[in-house]
Amino acid sequence: MPTHREPALRTTGLRKAFGDHLAVDDIHLTVPAGSFYGLVGPNGAGKTTTLAMAVGLLRPDSGSAEIFGVDVWRDTVQAKGLIGVLPDGNAMPERLTGREVLTYLGLLRGLPPAVVAERTDELLQVLELDVAERTLVIEYSTGMRKKIGLAVALLHAPRLLVLDEPFEAVDPVSAATIRTILRRFAGNGGSVIISSHVMSFVEQLCDHVGVISDGRVVAAGPLADVRGAGTLEEAFVDLVGARTGGTEGLAWLTP
Amino acid sequence: MAHPLTPGPAASAQHMIRMRLALMRNSLRGDNASNLYTGVSLGLVLAFATIAVAVLWPAHLPVTLAVWLSGWIFGPIFIGGGGEALRPEYFSMLPATPGRIAAALLAGAFAGPAPVVTLVALMSLPVYGWRFGPAGVLIGLAAAVITLITMVMISRVIVALIGLFVRSRVTAAAVGVVTGTAVALCSNGWAPVAALGGADTAAWSQLFVRVLPSGWGVAAIEAPWLLALAILAANAAVIALLLAAWSGLLARRVVSAARGGVPPRRGTPRPLPVAAGARIAAAKELRTWWRDLVRIQLLATALSYAVVTPLLLVTVDAWVMVPFAGLIAIVMGAANSANLYGSDGTALWLTLMTPGAERADVRGRQLAWLVIVGPAALVLSLAGTLISGLSWAWPWVLGLLPALLGGGAGVIVLLAVTSLVPGTDPHKRGGNPLSTGADETAETSLAWLVFLAVPATALPAAGVILLNPWAGVVTGVLTGVLSAWGLGKIAYRRLESHGIELLNLMKYGPPPEPARPTTADLPTHHRIGVTISYLIAWLPLFPQGLAPLVMKILGVEERVWFLALYLPPIWQWPTIIFMIAIGLLMYGYAVLIPMRLSSSASTNR
Repeated sequence: MPTHREPALRTTGLRKAFGDHLAVDDIHLTVPAGSFYGLVGPNGAGKTTTLAMAVGLLRPDSGSAEIFGVDVWRDTVQAKGLIGVLPDGNAMPERLTGREVLTYLGLLRGLPPAVVAERTDELLQVLELDVAERTLVIEYSTGMRKKIGLAVALLHAPRLLVLDEPFEAVDPVSAATIRTILRRFAGNGGSVIISSHVMSFVEQLCDHVGVISDGRVVAAGPLADVRGAGTLEEAFVDLVGARTGGTEGLAWLTP
Repeated sequence: MAHPLTPGPAASAQHMIRMRLALMRNSLRGDNASNLYTGVSLGLVLAFATIAVAVLWPAHLPVTLAVWLSGWIFGPIFIGGGGEALRPEYFSMLPATPGRIAAALLAGAFAGPAPVVTLVALMSLPVYGWRFGPAGVLIGLAAAVITLITMVMISRVIVALIGLFVRSRVTAAAVGVVTGTAVALCSNGWAPVAALGGADTAAWSQLFVRVLPSGWGVAAIEAPWLLALAILAANAAVIALLLAAWSGLLARRVVSAARGGVPPRRGTPRPLPVAAGARIAAAKELRTWWRDLVRIQLLATALSYAVVTPLLLVTVDAWVMVPFAGLIAIVMGAANSANLYGSDGTALWLTLMTPGAERADVRGRQLAWLVIVGPAALVLSLAGTLISGLSWAWPWVLGLLPALLGGGAGVIVLLAVTSLVPGTDPHKRGGNPLSTGADETAETSLAWLVFLAVPATALPAAGVILLNPWAGVVTGVLTGVLSAWGLGKIAYRRLESHGIELLNLMKYGPPPEPARPTTADLPTHHRIGVTISYLIAWLPLFPQGLAPLVMKILGVEERVWFLALYLPPIWQWPTIIFMIAIGLLMYGYAVLIPMRLSSSASTNR
């Protein structure tokens, strides 16, 4: 029986290759229950691939993932009941309005109709999507798509939230709203994993950090340990061995 | 003087052609390459056949060229927007006038296989001109080039018009009705022609095919040289007009926001019903049907084809198809719905992440499809049978209707999860609302699979009807329920076990390692053979084989267009059996050759 002592997420030796390209190479991650975990890494490091394999949206070539001790690939249905997911760039039921999406998914999950109606109302209001009652999701802006995706992830009150780039393309006001919601969720004992390349968000929100580069974990643990004495950004640049460019060439770039 | 950064017209055209060729080179992988080679081979066969027409039956050249023109007109409508490789949106920020960009895009439009194949076909014009001496050859050459440009321009203007004006249900349905009627005319258009007297109206039909843009070249060749020059000049003027119209349409398209094929709405939508499982999934699916212009267009295509085809035959007083309009609508409606999961794109992730939702989703889609197609098919069937007055048709209609409806509901979800054709996610589609970005050739083969599989589910009912009409009706209901239930069950089991693979097929495309060889790996002659078999094998098997078989058994006197029934009685049965055998052989060849290749390849691996 899974208990709170089990980590919210544990991946063991996750590996995924697309053709010749090894996107994720032997990833071991442990996200303690109740933690707010930030997964950072440069573009193409394998964050999205790792998260997709961890929640059961992409079959790994090898390795396993457990959510509160439940194996994602063996007890799929039980694992899915525990998590809320916001993947990056996936389609939605595009020809429903925001309210219809939440109502549909809530009823499909078997939540009581009254509960679905109440939660839908509150989520739309808090995320300021209630003004777009007549707008189909296909007509939403990128930021609105993120917000309806977050609402979908929250709807069934999961124990673990897995959010891929939740702040991308979201305006500053909405981003602040989302941060507050996530903090409240974590404060009430929920576990959160976000991926991001905005270091300041991760530094403000997260208590644990994992750094991925070239499909491998290069550092992981409590924020303070990973960050060391400097800022997270400095530690990140150091860890992934990146060199900030932009000083050479481009001599013609004068208006 | 243009902006200093803008290249001149010739240079832009060159860049555009290079870009188009680069896009084509990069897409020439796997099935795409195979489709291209097969398409080009087929096209060249037709092109040389056109030249042969100019040599052997010159009187029929104008009508043959009219067929090429109709290909350019209806091609883009059939395949949903003409698969624009170079989208005008890519160039909207170039500092150049719309006319300049349109001219450059036009140049790019010629850098593809279709214009080249058409140009080969148009070489029939100088060949035809040979009869009129060297001047005829010269005029024929000029006319070939001008006609090619005209055809490509007409095609582009139609794509632009669709892209710009299909913004509501009415226009989407109108495009669907035009498409369905055109398909019906292609298959049975001979009937009204025959009814109008065929051969003795040669004068008006000859004039008609010369008045079409495709016939101007022939008209110029036949005319005295001064008039010939005037015709060519007028044609050039038409091209200039089309180019102006096209650049205007492009400029409007680029600045009009793409809405992904969403019709306008007023008011807050009705709340979803309070239900769970399959019923709530069906409610979602019904809203999608009503709010997606692509689906509305496809549905209108299916229904108009089903209505127009029997009516065309009525013009030669053959009422035999009228009772079956509803059944045709079911099969066409199923063929247009076989890529349900592909058209929704990666939204599948939500079904996969909701515990136990796969079953509800499959059952909901079946239910919604039945709600959409069922009533229309029922009304068409009852009305058609009543109006035709063919009382022998009642058991056939009443038995096959439930069998096909159930079969359709089962087959579409099964194919949707086993033969998914990935397209562009709905929210990422470009300025053309009727294009799903899916590989049209693959979608077409999926439709052919439906044409085979759905009627096959009604075979038991048909067999029993032959023995005992009313027992056949009961059989139809039973097999219909069984097909919908059983095939649906296989479909959701498959979705539960392979949903992740389907999702990632849509997200990342097919896995790069060729786990099993595609048709692209077949030797060229087999590849062409397999494609041709898939394309025409239905012809001997169904209309020329099984249909006359049924009619002979029933003792129906109409001969319609079934070859066997026109022959002396002693030859009728052998012909029918021969036709069925040919059809089965072609399907067998088309299925077995790739399978043999794949099994030999897997033992080698």
